[in-house]
Amino acid sequence: VAKTSLTSPPWPEVKLPDPVEEAKYHAEVVQKVNKMIATGQYGRLFAVVHFASKQWKITSEDLIMMDNVLEAECGDRIRMEKVLLVGADDFTLIGRPLLGKDLVRVEATVIEKTESWPKINMRFWKRHNYQKKKIIMNPQTVLRINTIEIFPCLS
Amino acid sequence: QHFRGRKNRCYKLAVRSVRRAFVKSTKARREKKRFLRALWITRIEAASLEHGLKYPAFISNLIKSQVELNRKMIADLAIYEPKTFKSLAALAQRRRQEGFLAALGDGKEPEGIFSRIVHHY
Repeated sequence: VAKTSLTSPPWPEVKLPDPVEEAKYHAEVVQKVNKMIATGQYGRLFAVVHFASKQWKITSEDLIMMDNVLEAECGDRIRMEKVLLVGADDFTLIGRPLLGKDLVRVEATVIEKTESWPKINMRFWKRHNYQKKKIIMNPQTVLRINTIEIFPCLS
Repeated sequence: QHFRGRKNRCYKLAVRSVRRAFVKSTKARREKKRFLRALWITRIEAASLEHGLKYPAFISNLIKSQVELNRKMIADLAIYEPKTFKSLAALAQRRRQEGFLAALGDGKEPEGIFSRIVHHY
């Protein structure tokens, strides 16, 4: 049959690679990354952590300030779970959505527990004699990220 | 501008303009969140176009592959970690192609149709 403009669909045909070969390739890559982690060939590690309903991109010796109160005294060590992403120069580990606790370990210490600068909350309507002024000072905590460690437990 | 003219010297005018400044700052605090999210979205769109993907395709495929990064993080990663962003774009592209293949099916015609070619005699 002759080829017309409607024989093949207008979108480009895409073929996925062979699943068996893909599985082999994936296993090789995982072994390589495991070796790299075990020998310690990474430089600076960065991690994406979900903490206090926000996501933070953190490295070691990092300062983080959050707009709430933590139930920990100043100087307490905190281990952050809920790690979404860990990366170094040559490889990144993307979690779906979280990474395992036996893979990554993020340590932080509470440094400061202060209040924010006095924010002014004012509402005013013209010609209606309506005016309200409120000064809000939120409590804030400052954390210092000590270390991010990864362990070669990939599979 | 910072209280131009007599607004920085005369009490009556200053009171009015300071009141307006407070009200504007409270309203702006609520709109800052919307503005920042739009900024992140434009940055992610620009970065994903560099890798050959459009923003809706990128975000929908990332969410379908169960990666729960929010837009602020993806924008920061695209700025400071280009290799990580490239791998995320490749992940989204692969998930997109798998979705297309799953939707298109085997490529066979459904049963019950005897022929597409009609012969006139």
